[in-house]
Amino acid sequence: MLTIEGGDGSPVVISGRLDATQAAAAQSYLDRLAGVVTLDCASLEYLSSAGLGVLLKTHKRLLGAGGRLRLTEVSRHLQDIFSYSGFDQILEIEPGR
Amino acid sequence: MSERAAFPRRIDALAAVVAFTAAAFERLHVPLELRRDVDFVLEELFTNVVKYGRGSAPVAIEILAVAGGVEVTLTEPEAERFDVTRAPVVDTTLPAESRRPGGLGLHLIPRLVDSVKYDYSEPERCSRITFRKTRTCAPRDDAAGDEGATC
Repeated sequence: MLTIEGGDGSPVVISGRLDATQAAAAQSYLDRLAGVVTLDCASLEYLSSAGLGVLLKTHKRLLGAGGRLRLTEVSRHLQDIFSYSGFDQILEIEPGR
Repeated sequence: MSERAAFPRRIDALAAVVAFTAAAFERLHVPLELRRDVDFVLEELFTNVVKYGRGSAPVAIEILAVAGGVEVTLTEPEAERFDVTRAPVVDTTLPAESRRPGGLGLHLIPRLVDSVKYDYSEPERCSRITFRKTRTCAPRDDAAGDEGATC
């Protein structure tokens, strides 16, 4: 189960599991956003490589238009995934408390 | 003690795989903090079969309780040989503009578990991927492409 809310100037809050079954819906939502997009990951429980693909595609699209994707409230587990995949070098990531 | 189930080769079967894993962890009394990494690896392996496998027979998953964790085996009948432990190395140092998401899943697997082993039976045309995840597994930065690696 995945829910995404917010955007257009306010943080996008993503909750649940971003896996291969939810990647298309997440991509569709994020494709509507522009500028500097903040993704609040406090309630993002799980992220697979399909989810990494969604984040990468979104970040590249935003970069091309002068924006970027930034992640906040990122859990330790997700920080590990981002580190192992090198995403911590290409995305702005703010750890959770 | 172990739990076993078979799943059709469809992406939407992933929810059933996750539910099976959750139930198996509970019945086998496996530490819950291991689940996300096990879910991750199973998703990568299962979706790989769905995307690239040419067979139609269901894919079997067995979860065996071991000291401090689990040993998980994914069995793919009607399989072509593809050793997931020898997947191409992904350059994780490239800038965003040059990055492609493909291959990241297999790249991450050995970093998340204690060991990964690939077996292929030519007569049966059956592939078996076995990985082990325990509480003693430490993060690894040098795990690309090694077979049967241990922490």
